[in-house]
Amino acid sequence: MGIKTPPYLKPGDTIGIVCPSGYMAFEKAAECIRVLQEEWGYKVKVGSTLGSKSETYFSGTDEERLRDLQQMLDDDEVQAILFGRGGYGMGRIIDKINFKKFKKKPKWVIGFSDITIFHCHLYANYGISSLHAPMAAAFNDGGYTSPYVQSLKEALEGQPAHYTCSSHVLNKKGEAAGPIVGGNLALLVNTIGTPSEIKTKGRILFIEDIGEQKYSIDRMMFQLKRSGKLDKLAGLIIGGFTEVGDTERPFGAEVQQIIYDLIKEYDYPVCFNFPVSHDPENYALKIGVSYTLKVDSQKVVLKE
Amino acid sequence: MTPFILFNFPILANMNRKNFITTAAAVLASLSFSKVGARSPLSVSQYAPIIPPYLKPGDLIGITSPAGYITREDIIPAATLMQQWGFKIRVGYTIGKRNYTFGGTDAERLQDLQQMLDDPQVKAIMCARGGYGAVRIVDGIDWTQFKSNPKWIIGFSDITVLHSHIQRNLGIATIHSKMCNSFPRVWDDASPLQKETILSIQKALIGEKIQYSAPFNNYNRTGTARGILVGGNLKTLESLAGSVSDINTDGKILFVEDTGEYLYSVDRMFWNLKRSGKLTNLAGLIVGGLKTKQDDPGEYFGYSTYEIIASKVKEYRYPVCFEFPVGHQIDNFALKCGVPYELSVSESGTTLKEI
Repeated sequence: MGIKTPPYLKPGDTIGIVCPSGYMAFEKAAECIRVLQEEWGYKVKVGSTLGSKSETYFSGTDEERLRDLQQMLDDDEVQAILFGRGGYGMGRIIDKINFKKFKKKPKWVIGFSDITIFHCHLYANYGISSLHAPMAAAFNDGGYTSPYVQSLKEALEGQPAHYTCSSHVLNKKGEAAGPIVGGNLALLVNTIGTPSEIKTKGRILFIEDIGEQKYSIDRMMFQLKRSGKLDKLAGLIIGGFTEVGDTERPFGAEVQQIIYDLIKEYDYPVCFNFPVSHDPENYALKIGVSYTLKVDSQKVVLKE
Repeated sequence: MTPFILFNFPILANMNRKNFITTAAAVLASLSFSKVGARSPLSVSQYAPIIPPYLKPGDLIGITSPAGYITREDIIPAATLMQQWGFKIRVGYTIGKRNYTFGGTDAERLQDLQQMLDDPQVKAIMCARGGYGAVRIVDGIDWTQFKSNPKWIIGFSDITVLHSHIQRNLGIATIHSKMCNSFPRVWDDASPLQKETILSIQKALIGEKIQYSAPFNNYNRTGTARGILVGGNLKTLESLAGSVSDINTDGKILFVEDTGEYLYSVDRMFWNLKRSGKLTNLAGLIVGGLKTKQDDPGEYFGYSTYEIIASKVKEYRYPVCFEFPVGHQIDNFALKCGVPYELSVSESGTTLKEI
């Protein structure tokens, strides 16, 4: 499947900010808005779901979140959409989004975590690339100067990605090339069987997660494996697994080992602790775009 | 009185050899009764369900740990009571074995379960507890003997993996019920409800027709449905999606239960069921216990489990009932999966009746 990449941004283009999932106070996105405008040279359009009056977990009702996102998707004056944050809620509105206009005039949609379902859906159904990348809160406390938030800037400007990270003892050496797909592990398995399900054959898969128990990570990896998502990969990138929990009776292995045990039978290259995660280490990745992954004994290189 | 239990350990097995021989003779005598022809996994739904032979006095029940670790002491209450029901007990060698959270290594758990599946003397297998681990061994199980000589497999929670896998691929009935870790330590101290729950396992095993009722719930949708019952633990069912053990719900009565999940997670799991078409063609939906974790501070989800589920199925017509006595709770009655029931949801309450 060919991939459609939305046009890269030019100075003066407009980025829309919406919260399609969890609630976010406006102050939490204020620094991001400032940086986008003053440092990166874009205009910003703020949707009604950022800093909304919602008092629940969500940034608004399903209808409100859908309407706000739909307006941004359809707005000719908006060239990219940055999600304020993830949380939970995209899956509740994904089937109601109308992609008719967006399909003809794609724009970069940026986010991760709960937004994984959007990335999967867009790629599976429309073959359009989107950006798995830091969201608004990552700009705070000087975070915008980090190489990770900077990688989002570079991605939006159309600079090809070239990321390196140090090697890990469990890495499996080799070289791979193929479209990159992936995101949050819990969301990836949640798409299985649905119209948003990802195809992984011949692709480089990346996964990350936060706040999961070890047994749950094991179970999700078993699901990927048993649903045929791991056996025909071009390569596998394991990002950060943060705030991992364990049961009272310990699982008896670290997350990296849990994953390694399930993929060791395959021949493709695998790297661990790649900077894609809920921590600040979170490089921008263009879903569906082809990358090369090179894993050797010294380092890991991921290149567009 | 010391409980009379057959352990799978060589020394204990020798001690009880005499009994093994008696059991074997009784089982052999009944073999022709339990023969069932092989059926293609793909065409299971075209056939009537395969019901393993119900248990008779003197039949042997095996106890094994395909998932979490349990001590030998912890299975004594279950073993003792099931002996009082007139059954013999064989304790698998994974009982008391421990590999971290698991009842032995994957290889050990698989081997223990496999032996019980293949041994014609064993007429039912009770999984000692859930926890986590069945999915790690399910693909290693050789079902050949079990298919030609079906027996009851008993358990719930993580054991949903076995229920779902067997329903999907073999069409053989199984028993969704409490396990060894839920039997009361002292029977006389147990509450009437706990006794009733535990006794429902015995009734299911000896072939009494199942009939349970539940009070009316405002979120119920009234109606009557007939269909084969499938289901189990919601999270486990979701984790089987896309795999060879994936549940097929078309035309079925689906039941779900779970514990310890956040509301958002229940919502997300139900979206998976809905978006993968598993709620579209149900005959009926039974919701058991859904104990959820409290929302994190400042993250008020805003919908109850009833609202979460009712909103997912409002466009369909089939009967729906909530608060059915199945789940991680005392009133968790034994349900035969893979057999037909009639579900009747009315304003006076719900009944589920085996037909």
